[in-house]
Amino acid sequence: MSTSAARQAGRAASIEVRDLVVQYGNVVAVRGVSFSVSAGEHLTLLGPSGCGKTTTLRAIAGLEKPAGGEIRIDSAVVYDGRSGAQVPPERRGLSMVFQSYAIWPHMSVFDNVAYGLRVRREPQGEIARKVGEALELVQMGGLAKRSAAKLSGGQQQRVALARAFVFSPSVLLFDEPLSNLDAKLRAEMRIELKELQRRLGITSVYVTHDLEEALAISDRIIVMRDGVIEQIGTPAEIYDLPRNAFVADFVGSANLIRGRRRPELDGDGLVVLETAGGALVHGVAHGRGAGGEAVFSARTVHLQLSRERPAAPRNVWPARVRSRVFQGDFTQYHLDWDGRRLVLRCVTAEPVAEGTEVFLSLDPRHCVLLEE
Amino acid sequence: MATASRVRSWRPGPSLVSLLVGGGAVVIVFYPIVYLIQASLSVGDPQARPPEAYGLANYAGLERYAHIFWNTVLVAVVATALAIALGFVMGWILSRTNVPRREVLEQLMALPYYVTPLMGALAWSLIGSPSGGFANQVWRALGGEGHLIDITTPYGIAWVMALFEGSVAFVMIGAVMKSMDPALEEASQVLGAGRLRTMLKVTLPLVLPGVLGAAIFVFAEMLGSFSAALVLGLPNRFYVVTTAMYQLVSQYPPRFPQAAAMGVSLFAVMFAMIYVYRRIVSRGSYVTITGKAFRPRPMDVGAARWALFTVCLVYLAIAVLLPVLTLLYASLQRLATAFPQLSNFTLANYVTALSLDAVRSALWNSLLLGAATAGVGVPLMGFLSWLIYRSRLPGAGVIEYVLMFPQAVPRLVFAFGMLWAWLVFPIPIYGTLWLLLIAYLTVFLPLGIRTISGVMLQIDRTLEESAQMCGASWSYRLRTVTMPLLRPGLIAAALLLFIASVRELGASILLMGPKAKVITPAIVESWFSTSTELTAAMALLQTLAVAIALVLLFAVARRASRPIGE
Repeated sequence: MSTSAARQAGRAASIEVRDLVVQYGNVVAVRGVSFSVSAGEHLTLLGPSGCGKTTTLRAIAGLEKPAGGEIRIDSAVVYDGRSGAQVPPERRGLSMVFQSYAIWPHMSVFDNVAYGLRVRREPQGEIARKVGEALELVQMGGLAKRSAAKLSGGQQQRVALARAFVFSPSVLLFDEPLSNLDAKLRAEMRIELKELQRRLGITSVYVTHDLEEALAISDRIIVMRDGVIEQIGTPAEIYDLPRNAFVADFVGSANLIRGRRRPELDGDGLVVLETAGGALVHGVAHGRGAGGEAVFSARTVHLQLSRERPAAPRNVWPARVRSRVFQGDFTQYHLDWDGRRLVLRCVTAEPVAEGTEVFLSLDPRHCVLLEE
Repeated sequence: MATASRVRSWRPGPSLVSLLVGGGAVVIVFYPIVYLIQASLSVGDPQARPPEAYGLANYAGLERYAHIFWNTVLVAVVATALAIALGFVMGWILSRTNVPRREVLEQLMALPYYVTPLMGALAWSLIGSPSGGFANQVWRALGGEGHLIDITTPYGIAWVMALFEGSVAFVMIGAVMKSMDPALEEASQVLGAGRLRTMLKVTLPLVLPGVLGAAIFVFAEMLGSFSAALVLGLPNRFYVVTTAMYQLVSQYPPRFPQAAAMGVSLFAVMFAMIYVYRRIVSRGSYVTITGKAFRPRPMDVGAARWALFTVCLVYLAIAVLLPVLTLLYASLQRLATAFPQLSNFTLANYVTALSLDAVRSALWNSLLLGAATAGVGVPLMGFLSWLIYRSRLPGAGVIEYVLMFPQAVPRLVFAFGMLWAWLVFPIPIYGTLWLLLIAYLTVFLPLGIRTISGVMLQIDRTLEESAQMCGASWSYRLRTVTMPLLRPGLIAAALLLFIASVRELGASILLMGPKAKVITPAIVESWFSTSTELTAAMALLQTLAVAIALVLLFAVARRASRPIGE
């Protein structure tokens, strides 16, 4: 596999992970994870710290020795749990951008980027041309001769990126590459990274705990927790149809509304829950079944607040503004509703004073039944 | 998760080689210890080997030497108290106040450590011996009676030891003080506590574990120290454990079993102390391991900064300048006296030192051994550091403990074990430089490994991993990434090993053969048997060799402290 992968470099590869288990001593970091990445796809592993996402990525890279399962790159087995055989990282034909950038301080920017090409014994002229192109692509064209020790965080990030793709690997792995940048630069780099990814067309696996980053750059997202996969889907699916309370809460902010099923009231493709306080809440099931008790997820931005009673036939309730927090881009309201608190975010021109009696409404299509 | 993966991630390693080298190091460290213990249990004919009978009689017999143990404790306690006081004051001045020229002073503070206790003892003997000491000569010339100072008392010996160990205490305490976030003190003041209350409730408890750790470490070193007590105490028949051991081994007939029992006892005490020290450091280091970057905010002490500056200079003058100048002064005289006379000055001592075959060959042997120790030691210890801190070999922690073991054994005691161990070794290396080379490589394992691993641990693992992800093979990575980043550490380790070997006394004095002498024991021999002036000249020649290596070391340190790649 090794040499063939190296020879095929430059062509996007597919990845197949099956029943992957990674263990540190007695701690199981990844417990039987399976997924696949098709050639040219941009997949993101999303989850809180300690969920096993970085470990999974490092297992694909070969930097971590799994305890079981199987990993294939372009259908060639690089790790086989039954025999324990594993292809070393340097012969998998992958490339990686590290969280710490891992820029070599004793080399110039040019030497850093040229490293992978020199390893592959490319001719001098080719190296100079490719490094030049790569540096142009990450907007570092003028800094080739500079010592890598004298770069800012953002510049190091760009060099790390150029170094990772310059030798046309078949897969690019990203380990939280933007987490060390400040918020503004991170937002910029996110856009640049997305454009670059699309331009290069390389298969990529991206690890992050930042939701916006994941939504912005991925074709598909895998949400992980405690070493297992919670949900796999496109960014829209993950956001609009969270599978369970964890995903709903981790991916954006959501209100969880628990209640008793009232199947006799179902209709128009909607399911109905009755809360402890007696409110009837209509929502969509998307084919998910539920027993007597069930939970809806309603995003904070999907709740509507109005002074007059809206005309909608369903999901309109009286509520009271308990507190208001101005956050710039939006205003966050904490409402007393049905004997509990709900959080609502909206962009309003005219703020509603604390203590005001208001009406709360929610489009049933945005009220999603969760799997238990 | 990220940290866990950094510690544990897998790397293809030549695990068989690792196992062999690790195992070899374990054997080399424990082989002499086993013989030491065996010798201490021998109750038959003291010269018989292997022992005719085993028993605890030698330990029971130690009762006779109770006064020697008492002497040892007395000297060690006084010296530790002095050294810690020195280290604390210097540490506070240089890390918590705005004393002028702080950086330069901080570098100079390492110098007392490199002026060996032996040099100090020789120089202070010239200054303060009760009869002929320069200070006492002057005292009597001014009309004084008897002597002003007597450096040959236990307190004198402790003074000489403390001057040099003060440098070690400074490094340890200074590091603790520097690593304390000033925000911790400021928080206390903001919450309404006064300066004194802050000092008592916040500063002191935070610094205390570090100071206590330093005190225990220094005390253990003092228990095992040898040269100052030898030079200053032997003529008076004032013995500490190490010098008594040396006496028992070198007298005729030698009393090996008693010496071994003494050595084992000393080693047991030191081992316990080092264990306590490690416990304190690993438990109480909450000050040092926050890992957060903060700007040290030295206290503005106003005009007192010049007074503090003077305090530092006085310490350096007494610990470094005075001994070196005294030896220089003595070495340039026909007959050393406090009152210079033009006719008394001569270069004859240097001419003699460099023309005497014994001295020349000893100096040459030492330089050769120093180079060999550095040359063999750096690759060996570099590999061992990698094995311990980077390879994730199962049992790496145990190997580390074993390799750091010689730190807990006084070199003289260790050498005694080697003496027995290698006498029965089938290949005849006893009495040759080879035995000394093995001894140096063993006793300096902790020094070399600590120096190299200090740099190795600073190199983020992802720097190597990213090379791997670029497709570089193990050897290519080693050549292009690991070695260049490690270079300053390796050079520093080489120079430190060279310096340590050239000035080594405790192990050399027992293991050196009559036909393969080295310089430090030769200096001691010369001190006891030939002229003071010649000895001074020899000591200065040795110092010159160390000084050259030291200048190189500082140059490397200076380069390494700059951002790499400039």
